[in-house]
Amino acid sequence: MINIQVWHYDGRNANKWQPQLFGDSHGFRLIGDGWEAGPYSWADLQALDNAGSDRVFGHQYEPGWRIGFAGEIPADVAALLPQRQRYGGFIDRIGLWRASAVLACVAALVVFIGVKAPGWIAPFVPQSWEDNMGDAMVGDFGGRYCHTKDGDAALKALTAKLDPEGHARSIEVANIRMVNAIALPGRRIIIFTDLIEKAESPDEVAGVLGHELGHVEHRDTLTAMMRQLGLSVILGGMDGTGGSQINALLGLSFSREAEHQADLTALDKMKAANISPTGTAAFFRRMDKSLWGTSEDGKGKKAEDKVQGEQIRDLTSWFASHPSSKSRYELFENAAVKGHEYAPALTPAQWDALRGMCVDDRDVKSDFGFGF
Amino acid sequence: MDTPDQAGGAFGFDGTWREYAPIAFTNLLLTIVTLGIYRFWATTRSRRYLWSRTRFIDDRLEWTGTGKELFLGFLMVLLILGLPFLFLQFGVQALAMRGMGGMAAILGVAAFVVIFYFGGVARFRALRYRLGRTYWHGIRGGSNDNGFGYGISYMWKNLVGMMAFYLLVPWAMISLWNERWNKMSFGPHLFECDAKVAPVFKRFLLFYLAPFLILIMMFFVAGAVGGFFGGIGVRTSYPPAIAVLVMVVAVIGIYVLLGLIALAYYSAFLREGIGSLRLAGLKFDFEANTDDWLKLFFGDVLLVVCTLGIGLIFLQYRHWKFFITHMEAYGEIDLDELTQSTTTLSKHGEGLLDALDVGAF
Ligand SMILES: [Zn+2]
Repeated sequence: MINIQVWHYDGRNANKWQPQLFGDSHGFRLIGDGWEAGPYSWADLQALDNAGSDRVFGHQYEPGWRIGFAGEIPADVAALLPQRQRYGGFIDRIGLWRASAVLACVAALVVFIGVKAPGWIAPFVPQSWEDNMGDAMVGDFGGRYCHTKDGDAALKALTAKLDPEGHARSIEVANIRMVNAIALPGRRIIIFTDLIEKAESPDEVAGVLGHELGHVEHRDTLTAMMRQLGLSVILGGMDGTGGSQINALLGLSFSREAEHQADLTALDKMKAANISPTGTAAFFRRMDKSLWGTSEDGKGKKAEDKVQGEQIRDLTSWFASHPSSKSRYELFENAAVKGHEYAPALTPAQWDALRGMCVDDRDVKSDFGFGF
Repeated sequence: MDTPDQAGGAFGFDGTWREYAPIAFTNLLLTIVTLGIYRFWATTRSRRYLWSRTRFIDDRLEWTGTGKELFLGFLMVLLILGLPFLFLQFGVQALAMRGMGGMAAILGVAAFVVIFYFGGVARFRALRYRLGRTYWHGIRGGSNDNGFGYGISYMWKNLVGMMAFYLLVPWAMISLWNERWNKMSFGPHLFECDAKVAPVFKRFLLFYLAPFLILIMMFFVAGAVGGFFGGIGVRTSYPPAIAVLVMVVAVIGIYVLLGLIALAYYSAFLREGIGSLRLAGLKFDFEANTDDWLKLFFGDVLLVVCTLGIGLIFLQYRHWKFFITHMEAYGEIDLDELTQSTTTLSKHGEGLLDALDVGAF
């Protein structure tokens, strides 16, 4: 038989009662001055935070109902009372440190899968889905594609050499003043006009185009988009600000391995088209130097060199998202077969037509107001 | 009958750093290893501790919210607001990419209006949630209003406030404060609030001084680093290191200055807002002056900087303690008449937006 003094709120008004708790191992009643309540089951009690030194319990079906024990609780009563939750759920059962270790392993696994899974899943996404999504996103690019009769012909010739099987659905030159080229979702490649301007020969453009064709064939853009979406969901970072979509696409980063594979594909395609990779190597070297102020051996030069006007870090550049290294130049340089007769990627007339495409196209929309 | 006129005032806080530290550090640990998901349970644990160490008149407060309901609410927000926004964002940018800037802008504005509206609703429901989960003497608070009307008020009052060089912002804030509190209740009693704009308006005018102070500061910067300023060419012979230092100090200075003005205004705002709050026979007061706020602010900065950021986990404790120690209440409350609240408490994750739980005060 249990008989113990408690304090009590009934949850109906704010009065604090001082009843006696009478009960046994199954349940109890509260008996106060001229009133009686219950029976209550021990199993319905919930341990709440202590109020000072008082142990406090609530009732799971009666909001605001409380009993509190001042001072020591006799052992036979304590055995019937529930334990207080500390961290919640299973953490209390297995202990904080063990739970932390388990959770850390799960977290690492989730992040690992989040990074890797897109690469496993992307090949199984139907190509038509990706194409539709890409078209929905980009459309006609706001009329910013440059077209001239000769320019189109030159681009077609270059495309025919590098992508004879037609992996890309379209390759376009866009009137946007960035030294860049991107593989959009849906097998479309855009070369921005300044990249062609900065290139000194069609071979150099062919190297970059071959690389982007590699991304198209390996479905790297879809992989990167899925990875970004997945990580933002995992990390709860739905910031919703987004910036413009083109920035998001330019900001997609592929893994080092994907970039290397794209380089290898570019080399294969150039070899098949009998285009020399030496130009591309020189292009990488030249642009990296002007972008980062790096010297020949790839190490950073002294600060004074970087302050020079032309070496502004243009983060919209292809060479910012594709930083070169000694091994990358050498990959292209060493791929050139000594003494082999290579053919230029385009004839001088075609090259001129390609370079003049955006200037000569009177209808093309300017890049003014292009979303930043 | 219970009267607050007892030693130590109506409100008291007897928590300690030493008790709070294990909660704060284990919260941090578990939040990290769960990639942030534990933060809902962490918030709940902190609040349970802080509430349980807070005395009002003769007994402690009790926090009965759970991490699970916050988490479920978060998932619902993600599903009901997050997903559509993902698609909307997609649509806006697809339009922009096609050069249909006008349509994209309209869609973007529409999205902004929706976010603005739900921001107001969330503010209302955060306060409702906190009152609904706070028990004292076995009695809780709440509101019978769902906050959707408040969201409309929130939009138009803030818009009007921004007109005329933001001069009506204090009016908007005070009027929204009153509107929100007048719909809240504790037990059977409605809160009543009739805060006035006049007491906070003078402090608000300080914001208009800021541009002049910043201008003066920029002039000194220009003097140090050289350059053209207001048509006057300023040259300098200072070494670049000092020029950079002056720049950095000036930029930090501008932020601190704006922060201090905001602090001065906010201290007047809360004094007026809470000072105009009544519940049945009780009248509330908030007695922190600008000096107290300065101490809190620089204390926060010092704590965070000196601990290289780890002090961040103690800010919730500091702010709650600051809040409670400066709260005061006068008058009487009849315990027989303080009966249980009949306001609705949604069972499933506390409705949609309680989960956003933006600062209630
Ligand atoms: Zn690439």
